Amino acid sequence: MYYPYFLTYMLAGFIISILVFFWALYNRQFKDQQRARFLPLQGGDQAEPVRVSKMNRIEGYALLGLACLGLLTTAAVLIFALVRGG
Amino acid sequence: MDSSATSATLTNRTARAFCLTSAGWMVMATLMGLAGATELIAPDLSHNIGWLVFGRVRPIHVNLVLFGFVTPGLLASAFYFLPRLLQTEIYSERLGLITVWLWNITLLAAVISLASGFSQGREYAELIWPVDLLVVACFGLVCYNLFMTVKRRREPLLYVSVWYVCAAVILTSVTYCIGNVIWQPNSGALVGIPDAIILWFYGHNIFGLLLTPLAIAVAYYVIPTAIRSPLYSHTLSLIGFWSLLVVYTHIGTHHLLQVPVPTWLKVIAIVDSIAMVIPVMVFLINIWYTAKGKLGEIHADIGAKFVFTGTIMYFFVSIQGSIMALPQVQRVTHFNNWVVGHAHIGVLGFAAMIALGGLYFIIPRITGRPLYSRFLADLQYWLVLIGVVGFTVVLTTVGLIQGNAWLNGETVYRVLPEIHLYYVLRASLGFLIFSSAIIGFYNIIRSLLSQSGAKA
Repeated sequence: MYYPYFLTYMLAGFIISILVFFWALYNRQFKDQQRARFLPLQGGDQAEPVRVSKMNRIEGYALLGLACLGLLTTAAVLIFALVRGG
Repeated sequence: MDSSATSATLTNRTARAFCLTSAGWMVMATLMGLAGATELIAPDLSHNIGWLVFGRVRPIHVNLVLFGFVTPGLLASAFYFLPRLLQTEIYSERLGLITVWLWNITLLAAVISLASGFSQGREYAELIWPVDLLVVACFGLVCYNLFMTVKRRREPLLYVSVWYVCAAVILTSVTYCIGNVIWQPNSGALVGIPDAIILWFYGHNIFGLLLTPLAIAVAYYVIPTAIRSPLYSHTLSLIGFWSLLVVYTHIGTHHLLQVPVPTWLKVIAIVDSIAMVIPVMVFLINIWYTAKGKLGEIHADIGAKFVFTGTIMYFFVSIQGSIMALPQVQRVTHFNNWVVGHAHIGVLGFAAMIALGGLYFIIPRITGRPLYSRFLADLQYWLVLIGVVGFTVVLTTVGLIQGNAWLNGETVYRVLPEIHLYYVLRASLGFLIFSSAIIGFYNIIRSLLSQSGAKA
């Protein structure tokens, strides 16, 4: 046979999907969809209020410098490409 | 179990360990990407350094992004939100920690073996058989832990994120075994066209059936939680889930439209690639309607901001992917940097953005403290965003130059000098991404491990 592995792959996915679908149907997973919408909100998962960071000023300058270096490199290449790219 | 007690008593040790894994390997993965991009500018740079040549650096980069950075990042969120959605604890946090240790050993083995030149030589499936077994073992442990957690749940209804996570880990376990031809330890491959077919089913699905469902699962949890609003439609989300399962498993052959594979297989691949518009738009409509009128809350939460941006990237990459599957389009876009750009929008812009968003969303909730630095997280957000948009522009442009040149009969050596400057630009953008990885690693380490900063 030329495509046994391809067919095995497709069949495996198909059979697993069908089995799980009927499991879900049998276990009433498609009922009560209105309540399901609220499930992420039921875990008491509320974050602390957003706060301004207390980062050390030197660290901030260093990292800002790092970012600027990257941006300047990118800008330099772009300018070079436009001027010398022909 | 009382829901608030659940959040308070959960230890989140596995989620925490996956956070550290993801943050650490992001640095290594992006460094390898930067090294590869640099070698495209200066091919002789690593001429005499065997383990640094492009042919070894590139698979290390790809495998580390996939298994080292993005998947652990998404799994961290999954191990965080599954107990909350199921109203139970993770089946075994100890097993979770063992999984994370094994995961890191596997990644180390992957890097050492690939750098040493041990490779199966199949794109995206380069890892050799012993490492394949370790990967399968890792996914097996994750599957067992998650499915036992689902089995012990107190909430009878499975939220859509649970569906997506379970599908991702089980389908990837199957995909990995078949795609790596794991029953042939010596070669890890079939012969001829059947191998190309099976490889590209693997190559597409290892991203599409692992990163996509995990990222969607995270988005479906983070966005409603961050804005404190219910999901727009759970029914719609389930339609998206089942249509993704039906459509996404068969589209790998669109990588082989210019190869002598059977026409019927190509037709399936093309039709299903276009049909991907259905699950994609179902997800996006659902998540964007959920967020409608609440963009202020999303902007206030750095995790949600990353995730929401990831959904926008998902729109672009999916529409692009469907169009790229058309043979007429592919004549210009295939075998050149257009595809590399597409891959970066998908993996970095969509999946990695959501993975990072998930990390920044859960870390303050795990520690009970604000992030070490919101500024650094914002900085990382902008660096990644600029980087991925830049990749899109540069690589798409290069792809069009290459595609049109080759279509017009130009030889490769005449095209390469034309695209050299774009490669320099690409490496510069890679530097931005690498910088963002260092910043993110520092911020996450300080947020998780540092005891400084009072509770809000």
